[in-house]
Amino acid sequence: MTQSTSGTPVLSVRDLTTSFFSQRGEVQAVRGVSFDVHPGEILGIVGESGSGKSITCMSVLRLLKATGRIKAGSANFDGQDLLALDEADLSDIRGNKIGMIFQDPMTSLNPTLSVGEQVIETILRHRKATRAEARARAIELFELVRIPSAADRLKSYPHEFSGGMRQRVMIAIALACDPRLLIADEPTTALDVTIQRQILGLLRDLQARLGMAVILITHDLGVIAEVTDRIVVMYGGLVMETGPVRELFAHPMHPYTRGLLASVPDLRDDTHRRLTPIPGSPPDMAHPPAGCPFTARCPHAMRQCAAELPPIFGHSQGARCWLHHPDAPRIAGINEVAA
Amino acid sequence: MPSYILQRLGMMLLTLWAIVTLTFFLMHAVPGGPFVSERMLAPEIAAALNAKYGLDQPIWLQYLSYLKGVLTFDLGPSFKYPGVSINTMIATGLPVTLQTGLLAVICVVALGIPMGIVAALNRNRWPDTAVMMLATIGVAIPSYVIATVLLYVFALRLGWVPTFGLDDWRGYILPVFALSGFWVSFVARLTRSSLLETFEQDYMTTARAKGLRPGQILFKHGLRNSLVPVVTVLGPVVANLITGSFVIEQIFALPGIGRQFVLSITNRDYTAIMGITIFYAAALMVMILIVDLLYAVLDPRIKLSGAKA
Amino acid sequence: MTDPRTIAPEMWAPLHPADSAPATSRPSLTYWQDARRRLWANKPAIVALGFIILLILGAIFGPWFSPYSYADQNLKLANIPPAFETYAVDDGQGGTTRFFLNASNFNLYEVDAEGHVLGLLRGGRKDMLKKVQPFTFGATTVTLDYKTLPARLLTADGATISPSGWSWNRTYLFGTDQLGRDVLVRQLFGARISLTVAFVATLVNFFIGIFYGGLAGYIGGRTDAIMMRIVEIISTVPLTLYVVLLMVVFDSGLYSIIIAIGSVFWVDMARIVRGQILSLKSQDYVAAAKTMGAGTGRILTRHLLPNSIGPIIVTLTMLIPSAIFIESFMSFIGLGVTPPLASWGTLTSEAVETMRAYPHQLFFPAAAISLTMFAFNFLGDGLRDALDPRFRK
Repeated sequence: MTQSTSGTPVLSVRDLTTSFFSQRGEVQAVRGVSFDVHPGEILGIVGESGSGKSITCMSVLRLLKATGRIKAGSANFDGQDLLALDEADLSDIRGNKIGMIFQDPMTSLNPTLSVGEQVIETILRHRKATRAEARARAIELFELVRIPSAADRLKSYPHEFSGGMRQRVMIAIALACDPRLLIADEPTTALDVTIQRQILGLLRDLQARLGMAVILITHDLGVIAEVTDRIVVMYGGLVMETGPVRELFAHPMHPYTRGLLASVPDLRDDTHRRLTPIPGSPPDMAHPPAGCPFTARCPHAMRQCAAELPPIFGHSQGARCWLHHPDAPRIAGINEVAA
Repeated sequence: MPSYILQRLGMMLLTLWAIVTLTFFLMHAVPGGPFVSERMLAPEIAAALNAKYGLDQPIWLQYLSYLKGVLTFDLGPSFKYPGVSINTMIATGLPVTLQTGLLAVICVVALGIPMGIVAALNRNRWPDTAVMMLATIGVAIPSYVIATVLLYVFALRLGWVPTFGLDDWRGYILPVFALSGFWVSFVARLTRSSLLETFEQDYMTTARAKGLRPGQILFKHGLRNSLVPVVTVLGPVVANLITGSFVIEQIFALPGIGRQFVLSITNRDYTAIMGITIFYAAALMVMILIVDLLYAVLDPRIKLSGAKA
Repeated sequence: MTDPRTIAPEMWAPLHPADSAPATSRPSLTYWQDARRRLWANKPAIVALGFIILLILGAIFGPWFSPYSYADQNLKLANIPPAFETYAVDDGQGGTTRFFLNASNFNLYEVDAEGHVLGLLRGGRKDMLKKVQPFTFGATTVTLDYKTLPARLLTADGATISPSGWSWNRTYLFGTDQLGRDVLVRQLFGARISLTVAFVATLVNFFIGIFYGGLAGYIGGRTDAIMMRIVEIISTVPLTLYVVLLMVVFDSGLYSIIIAIGSVFWVDMARIVRGQILSLKSQDYVAAAKTMGAGTGRILTRHLLPNSIGPIIVTLTMLIPSAIFIESFMSFIGLGVTPPLASWGTLTSEAVETMRAYPHQLFFPAAAISLTMFAFNFLGDGLRDALDPRFRK
């Protein structure tokens, strides 16, 4: 777990704001999210469903559905603002310098094209290669993601593959052009537990071998703990806490992070600590609350929390919580330690 | 694959047999028999006619001999025109019906699918509205109304095209247009909704995430998948363009099978009605089989080894 | 990035759960309330519904308000248009005769100033060679010249008389047909026949479909497989052909066409009902009803059908225009209702014969059937959007 906060980040997202517009009105999915991804690191973005974590990453590559609109912000990659590039230039980056893996391998592959074709077309799009060269590269990629008898399986169709195998194909597609950044949007959520382990292990190995930066989006803290270097915790379309994985797990600064950690069964812990789920449900993002979005579910909520959105307090580890204001009352386990 | 085709062929033969049987007994259930509605015939002439057409035999014998005829592609003689066989009637009409029908199919594919694509790509903008309005008109107005109105405006009033016959290429315009109007609209609507549904699929996002060019995304990933339901309806469409042509052929006085069929109905030419119905049904089923095979080419998930679910 | 500004001390007070913003949730609507709201928001569907209601009222009550019946013939007043150009001729004795010229049959019809048709004017002997016919009004004689078309009216000195104005036909609002029958009344009767056939045939289809599909879906297993195989066979047959065959067997007429259409188009309904029932059968409340000892019939009618009513209504609404279409189609090729009864199909096919000379006779039935088909299509689309739970948000 190398911590390379120095140097230029691969991707630097600032104040990203994304909304969806429907007949019911505006749903503010992402409300000013900022984070950096550094070369060679695995950044985990964690949050409940609806926290805006997937929308954040889809916004970075501008892959939103027709009803979504990026209202503000920037995403600097290689000296270019991805949010300001024109579509043609952006498509030169997609699948080339930035690869992406999606949640559901069952639906993310085109059912009517052979898996080989789906890898090959990506290579041909971004590299000057003949079909034969692209095919050779595809076989190489299939071997890299450990698909057995790679050469034979190029001709297969997605429905002839299991979920785990399909996700390997997706990874092969994402890695086809040696990307500098790989965005993995809940890559293991739709898979069986044993397959999850294999895919995670594969991702970690590939990252170590190829040295690209990875953004791993997940709602599974176990996954985060295992593979990431740094974490961004999202809630209600905002970054609630961010920091290196060790520190954040040891001393969560935000009550929400604390709640999340408390709701995870700790396999290494034999004391049979009881699971404490966070009571309540996430806010309705069509009508986000004025203050901290976690106020309604927070055990330490104060009047200030409902009145005003807190800024992010802290440095290498930071949290968006009023409890870290110098004048805030002391709460054991939260601001007493982190102060 | 061969076993699937064999199975489908078997099913087709079974259906055809059911149709032949049903048609045969329906036609023989007509009160009084085929010669009664005619002007009064002398009993001996009627008996001679009955003997000639085998009507004096018990019904099951007639049925068996008809079945044998159908199996050997012989649909028997016409009641109305002595000496003319139904096969000849169909053979004379077929070229005309096929010509207009095929032109209409081409129209459906060449107009309906692009219209649907344009509408889907411009969702909720004016090209979409325009296409959907046209398509709604085309779906709602019956073909014979379209045909007569077109005939009145373009042939009678403006004189741009002939009112009947196919002597001139312009003679094809109105019949083909009237014939294909409904299906062009139907296919346009289907293509549009199918494409819009496909655009929502995850693999379309994958295609964009791979950086593919818009044309590749639309044609290779979007259209191919959207066309699966369109191709499924094309079988019935082709069949309908051929069977549905009987009013159009009537209105534009085209000497095709459809006109022959309507004529047979007015003439109460029972063997002709029977023969043409069976011919239509057989043509339809062959068409559906072809389309199902095509469907399997488009969508590799359809296995041609077993029965459909 | 820390914000060191001071915050009022009272703001650090704990927040009571009640102080936090109340959860805003939309008032929950029942299925039917929601469906009604969505349908009401769909303007084309509402306009279509209004049109259909007006049409039904017109078809039922319209003919009562007309002095004519659909079968009243008046050959003297045949093929009169709904609007005409009037001529006024002074008879030299202080009187004026108003009339119009039917340019297709070269007859003159007397009309009054409001546009009521008074009758056919008798002219003098037609000169068959010169193609002229004199008409005498008191001291004035007007000559109808139809050597060259369009026919003209000439004064004694050979000058062309031009029309003095135009007027709507107040006697026959939509004009008359080739047998002098009132087109409006026949139109309304046509609506009656077409709508009756459509509704009754749809109802017949509905019951057969519900019964067949319900039975197949409910019993399941082998019976279901066989019944659905039969449906598969039926649906590969071009159904229009079977309506034709049945009509040949039954002979034309109102009842025949209802039976013919009603007995053929239930296949889709059966499929949908079966599908609905299969998907609902596995659900808990059916099992609950079963354990509580409800009989098959009761489960079918009280639990399964109410829950599959949405798709059924949509299918029904879509069936009505097909039934109208098939009926008019059959009548158009001469297999539908028999004269003097009129349906939109027979009206259209009669009008086609005289289309060249009297396009108004074609216009009205063509417009009526097209508008009705539109209306049912819009309403069906609207109902589908309103009732399909997949579209609920």
